[in-house]
Amino acid sequence: MKELRRNIRLIGTLLVVIFIITGGAFGYTVYTQGSRWMTNQYNTRLNNAKSTVVMGSIVDRNGVVLASTNSEGERVYSSSKSIRRAMSQTVGDPLSMSGTGVETFHSGTLLGFSGSIIDRAAQWYRGDEFKGDNIMLTVDAKLTEYISGQFPDGYQGAVVVLNYKTGEILSMVSKPDYDPARVDARNIDSEGSGYLNRCLQGLYTPGSVFKIVTLNAALSNIPGVTNQTFTCTGEAHYGDTVVRCIGGTAHGEITLAQAVAKSCNVTFAALSYEVGNAAFLSTAQSMGFNTNFRFQDIVLYNSVLPTDISSGGELAWSGVGQGRIQVTPLHMAMITGGIANGGTIMEPRLIRQTYGATSISRKNMTSSAFRTGAVSASAAEITKQYMRLAVTGGTASNAAVKGYNICGKTGSAEVSDDKSVNTHAWFVGFIDDPDYPYAVAVVVEHGGAGSDKAAKLASRVFKKVIELT
Amino acid sequence: MARRVKKGGISDIRAAAKRSNVTFLRSMLMLFQFSAFALLALKKSPLDMQALTYAICLPAVTYLCLKVIPRVWAIDRILLTLVLFLCSVSIVTLKDIARAESTSQEQALFMLIGIAMMLGAIAFIRKLRNWEKWILPLMIVSVVALALPIVIGDWRYGAKNWIKVFNISVQPSEFVKLSLAAVLSISFSRQSTRRQQYVTLGFAVLLCGILLVERDLGALLIYFFLTLALFYLGTSNGWLTLAGLGAGAAGSVLAYHSFDYVKARVETFVNPWADPQDSSYQIVQALIAIGSGGMFGMGLGLGLPRNIPLYHSDFIFAAISEEFGYIFALCLLAVYVLIIMRGISIAMNARNRFHALLAFGMSALIGVQTLIAVGGNTKLIPLTGVTLPFVAAGGSSLMSCFLAVGFLLGISSINAQYEQDDIRKAEWQEAAPK
Repeated sequence: MKELRRNIRLIGTLLVVIFIITGGAFGYTVYTQGSRWMTNQYNTRLNNAKSTVVMGSIVDRNGVVLASTNSEGERVYSSSKSIRRAMSQTVGDPLSMSGTGVETFHSGTLLGFSGSIIDRAAQWYRGDEFKGDNIMLTVDAKLTEYISGQFPDGYQGAVVVLNYKTGEILSMVSKPDYDPARVDARNIDSEGSGYLNRCLQGLYTPGSVFKIVTLNAALSNIPGVTNQTFTCTGEAHYGDTVVRCIGGTAHGEITLAQAVAKSCNVTFAALSYEVGNAAFLSTAQSMGFNTNFRFQDIVLYNSVLPTDISSGGELAWSGVGQGRIQVTPLHMAMITGGIANGGTIMEPRLIRQTYGATSISRKNMTSSAFRTGAVSASAAEITKQYMRLAVTGGTASNAAVKGYNICGKTGSAEVSDDKSVNTHAWFVGFIDDPDYPYAVAVVVEHGGAGSDKAAKLASRVFKKVIELT
Repeated sequence: MARRVKKGGISDIRAAAKRSNVTFLRSMLMLFQFSAFALLALKKSPLDMQALTYAICLPAVTYLCLKVIPRVWAIDRILLTLVLFLCSVSIVTLKDIARAESTSQEQALFMLIGIAMMLGAIAFIRKLRNWEKWILPLMIVSVVALALPIVIGDWRYGAKNWIKVFNISVQPSEFVKLSLAAVLSISFSRQSTRRQQYVTLGFAVLLCGILLVERDLGALLIYFFLTLALFYLGTSNGWLTLAGLGAGAAGSVLAYHSFDYVKARVETFVNPWADPQDSSYQIVQALIAIGSGGMFGMGLGLGLPRNIPLYHSDFIFAAISEEFGYIFALCLLAVYVLIIMRGISIAMNARNRFHALLAFGMSALIGVQTLIAVGGNTKLIPLTGVTLPFVAAGGSSLMSCFLAVGFLLGISSINAQYEQDDIRKAEWQEAAPK
């Protein structure tokens, strides 16, 4: 009987402990993910609320109104068609066609679900109709409109501009785009892939822009790698796999700095091969690859670096950003910004401020680091110098802006096994200037070499962002 | 015991304090019932007569139960109060969210029948002396009853665990689990040989096998954990218990690979957002409801929990989370914890092994069932279709829960009687001349 009581106490305690863990897990998941669950496009409550609550407005960082509710209760967007289209996926639309847009993902705030009780009470006391909270974005509508206009005609792709010190997203352009004012249930499919925000949801092969990651893996794992010289004969063999430089160019004897500036595939394949699978993976993961992104303001798709690379050939190709690696333009901009920011990657921010209809409550954005010391400060400094070299005398020279320290890296990502399909043109870079702390990522799908269309567009983006600041 | 008698005056005061505590609890419960239904009655104009009836009848039933039953038997009143609270939450929620008026009415009716069955269970367990001779009949009836749906049942919600008796749907697994607990308690309470123990375990495995065929995964989990818990309590054989746990884990991996329906369940659990319109529609709608409710809920009658399929039975926890918020949902969990702790303390105070094992088995049944239901609703574990004890709509589930509580209360009254006897004996010894 005594033993039985002891057992009862043990199993009974276990049962109660499991209960407490379950309760804790339930509370924690609802607290952290509840708003994600709610702002789902399959949630019919939101549409119901739209008929009883006046949805809040969305304005850009300078107060330009992007979306608001008129006196008839209809949702109206910016009167300028070009701003409407440029901001389409960022702002979203009434039918949640662009599921990651603010209109959908932050509908809880706009409809006042997560607003303050004080606001609610004040509105009730005055007898006003219920108004949701307003949102001020970090985005600059004018800049976004400009970039959208400058994007090469007839091409698809994405451009991200962010402040690498605060994490604020200044611009997201995704081509093709659509007009949120003309979305209705009848022509839901007519705009095709325009609803996709390529900055957040476009998973691209990075190509040579990924060499930034490989470089940092080498810097932190191969002592004295900055003083080594490499011999490039235009191709290198890893088992059955052959890694070639673009166009089969033989770069000859080059330093690490020159290898970045000239984007030498043979050197970077050798670096990733020497670093080895584990260290290569760990550097990439510290920069956010294979991380389940759960950012407050945005839905960002996870970037993938395969963890099961088994052949030396695939590891070598991965070092130059080919193979099964996939990354979103925003994540690439975050990594680039991390280099500019001394190795610390900031969490991307889209909401600058939310404020209630009665202006009693205001919630301002606070910056926070996504990864502190994703790479060491010294490695970040070296990477920065090499990227500067790529602009002053390398593949990224088209991105230069006179009088400013532009650092950058181009990429031409192979997206098919034969050469019939043009490569994706990539550019990532930043202004090395404390007054203009901006990082940019550009993807022009099938735009050929990154040094051409992507770098030229980036140069214009840099000029405009300096002009507008 | 002698010490307690010496401080007789103080123990009287203590008893009085305890009594007033229970009175307070009862008054709060009646206030909750009255105000919730009054609110629902006033929401409609003209007055909702059904809600008004509840507002008057439920407190009356509560008062009667908590006044009369303790007069007859010295039962654990706090346990009964907590159970009645859960039933009221159930009827309030169902009255508010169910499409048909009859749903809450049926639930109230089942509650009354359940209370009657509970009284029967109390009386039965108090009278029961030769429990050992019950083991074989119970085993046979269990196997037959559980296997019955395979022969005459039909598929419902992906499982074949229902039968129709006189036009009423009955879920045998809800009652067989009580019988399993009883068989295990009887078997492990006597001095049994290894072979007898293995026969008992074999019986439990057979029941689990039947459930696997019927695709009632939730009941399967409950049976499995109940068997393990009672086996460990009765035999103190830690290694074999762990081995059983391991076998269960291996079995679930095997089931995952060999049964497509198990695989589908796990897949919708791992990534419900992959197919939110079809295969994972239920869980996605449940999560949306919980997320929309937030901390304090949409408010009684203001949510849209009807979007969730089976909102009134398998997904009532999600519906409650939406209406009342997750703070309330956590409090509800706390009530279950209290019920289980009362059950455990009844088991600890029991004077013989059978009563101790049975009391623990009943508490474990309620506990495990709650955990599986809540875990499934909130995506902590894969969905299995288990009802939340006392709260989910459904006659079989409610009645079996009341039977379980009836056994618990019966044992608690037996314990109280023994205690009373002890005190009297001590008093008598003290008073007797040395």
